[in-house]
Amino acid sequence: MKKFWALFFIFWPIVALYVCLVAPSRNWWFPSAPMSSVGHQIDGLFYLILIIVAVTFVGTQVGLGYALWKGATKKSGEKAVFSHGSHKLEIMWTIVPSFVLVFISLTQLEVLANIRVLARFPDEARKTPVAEVTARQFEWRIRYPKPGTQLSTEPQEGDLYFVNELHVPVSQPVMVHLRTQDVQHAFFAPKLRVKQDAVPGLVIPIWFEIEKAGEYELVCAELCGWGHYKMKARIIAESEESYLKYLAALETDQNEDGVADEAASASDEE
Amino acid sequence: MSLTPSWNRFLLLPMLTAVVAGGCSEYNSSFVYSERTTSLIPEAQDGFKGESEAAPAISGVKQLVDDRFGNPQDLKAWLKLPVEFGGTQSAVAEYSAVEGVATVKFSVEEGKSLPETASSVHVVSGALAGETLLISNWDATTGQATLEGLPSKEISAGDSCVIDGGTVMQSGRVLYMRHCSHCHGTSGDGAGPTAQYLNPRPRDYRHGIFKFTSTTDVSKASRQDIKRVLQYGIPGTYMPSFLLLTDSEINSLVEYVRFLSLRGEYERKLVNELAGDFSQKAVATRTEGGESREAIVSELKEMLAADIVDAANSIGDGMAEDWSVSDTAEAVIVPTVARVPDSPESRRRGRELYLSKTLNCADCHGVDGAGNGPQTIAYEKNPITGEPYNEAGLHDVWDNLNQPRNLHRGIYRGGRRPIDLFARIHAGIKGSRMPSFKNTPHEDIWHVVNYVLSIPFEPEPGATGVAVAAPPAAAAVAP
Ligand SMILES: [Cu+2]
Repeated sequence: MKKFWALFFIFWPIVALYVCLVAPSRNWWFPSAPMSSVGHQIDGLFYLILIIVAVTFVGTQVGLGYALWKGATKKSGEKAVFSHGSHKLEIMWTIVPSFVLVFISLTQLEVLANIRVLARFPDEARKTPVAEVTARQFEWRIRYPKPGTQLSTEPQEGDLYFVNELHVPVSQPVMVHLRTQDVQHAFFAPKLRVKQDAVPGLVIPIWFEIEKAGEYELVCAELCGWGHYKMKARIIAESEESYLKYLAALETDQNEDGVADEAASASDEE
Repeated sequence: MSLTPSWNRFLLLPMLTAVVAGGCSEYNSSFVYSERTTSLIPEAQDGFKGESEAAPAISGVKQLVDDRFGNPQDLKAWLKLPVEFGGTQSAVAEYSAVEGVATVKFSVEEGKSLPETASSVHVVSGALAGETLLISNWDATTGQATLEGLPSKEISAGDSCVIDGGTVMQSGRVLYMRHCSHCHGTSGDGAGPTAQYLNPRPRDYRHGIFKFTSTTDVSKASRQDIKRVLQYGIPGTYMPSFLLLTDSEINSLVEYVRFLSLRGEYERKLVNELAGDFSQKAVATRTEGGESREAIVSELKEMLAADIVDAANSIGDGMAEDWSVSDTAEAVIVPTVARVPDSPESRRRGRELYLSKTLNCADCHGVDGAGNGPQTIAYEKNPITGEPYNEAGLHDVWDNLNQPRNLHRGIYRGGRRPIDLFARIHAGIKGSRMPSFKNTPHEDIWHVVNYVLSIPFEPEPGATGVAVAAPPAAAAVAP
């Protein structure tokens, strides 16, 4: 029975090691490979921390297993050695983890700054925000600036509106302004690894660069009320050309006056 | 002592099973009847039990509604109504039952096609009328079906049936229950569990009225109108966008909402036939006036036995007509002139009209468009009961207090396209106090649209100066 417990505790680090090695290739940790430039940096951080944690976990478990095994296989007459405290050891297990933590916090600073600090945003994204995304119970309202103009904090004449579908050009850094009309929400695009709270009263810039054209899920990641689960939208990344075409079509639709074009020219009779 | 905890742990298992079994047991939801129905005397609600062959049962309002609409678990298709219930109408061409295997060959009307898959067939006429048979094997090219087991009676050629009937309704119901019912209620009465927390209140479909439509003032909402609202939501209210549902999901939801609206409208109109004489209140007054209750009840019995059946049919015909005409191009508002190009002059003209006596927009929306016109502080009377409302302001047919839109907000519930605003002015907002201005020249409506769309961007409220040569407008402001 003693041996069983020793083996039991040795078994788990083996499982952990296996999972850590296999997981990345099988996408067990993430919904997909990262689809944005910051996504790679975030995943990199995750794996760095995963390695540190895995090494620590396996190391401590091996130590535990070794101690248990030694105890389990001890001959009956043998006396246990009693030890109380070891200054050296205590200093070690205080200093080593502190170094590890300092190391992690310094390494992540770079990535955090890339995501959050406006001055570090790519210039082309920072200068021309593509849209304002307003979270609302329970949908995402999108406002694009009037084609050819700069996005303004306040709605402007000719701005284009849509809901639950955000179009952005692919393969270039884009910035959106995030705000909320009511409570706190969170803009979460899992495949892009973008997650940012929308806070009442604030306009929060977010940037990302989507690497592959396609449709990406956008959900709310902050429990915002009874309809939270409904708060789903899609981000559509497309070529610059079809992005502009989309905006043009949206503009045409928004100026719809219900009169067919040919009728418009023929209806001068008032 | 130490036994207790482990004994408890054993108890947990059967408890868990009980919870799971209880939680998963079939939940039967049912449509509820309107308050107006339940305000009738019990005999009018429930009808009369059959006593003999000579005096068969007579349906009351509840039965009349259930007969044609059923319940969520058992939806009925009243084929007269313009609702796409789903399924393929067909007729039996051949039937054979050899060695316990029943095979049916189906044919469809010319121009229509047989479905790709089929799992059940509902027999409409013939010996088996009303029964649903399961299909075990289906050949889409020949229309040959092998039935599961033998039917209890013979099927004969010419019997009409529906293959996979009600599929659209069923998927509509499932989606409705998941996404809509918590606000709009199982019966579409706008009284689901979350409804009480919302302002404005979720729509009660049972009047058959939807506020924001592209159709004329006398028309119902078209399918397209309901679809637009589902896809894009209603900004300024709690109605969110369901853009991510697929087209067929949205379509089946639209049909289910139409179904619920028609059910409510039918029930309402049936009650209208009876409420005058047979509501609990009316009967109380009548008995006070000297009539005997027995006499009133036998009058009701006569009416339910004869007149109400005709009335029910003509109500159905009327609704079918209204809802199908509203779904055609004729019902859609099409301006006779294209939008007048937006310009300072057009906006000024729009403001003139806005303030004019004829349109009198300022009466509700306020001189500067802030939604604070004099009507918002007037006390209205409830048109049905004749009693004044408790709070000042305008009320819609659902008895909700309506704030006239503050036009500075730039939020347009019925859509922000010029045609949406045009339709709002032309047809009014149905069920609300926003009236129809269909007799206003279309060009003038466009001026008003241009003005209204410019209000959120005015440097200060009322900044759009009214042309000097417009004394009538100035006069309209003065009082
Ligand atoms: Cu949310």
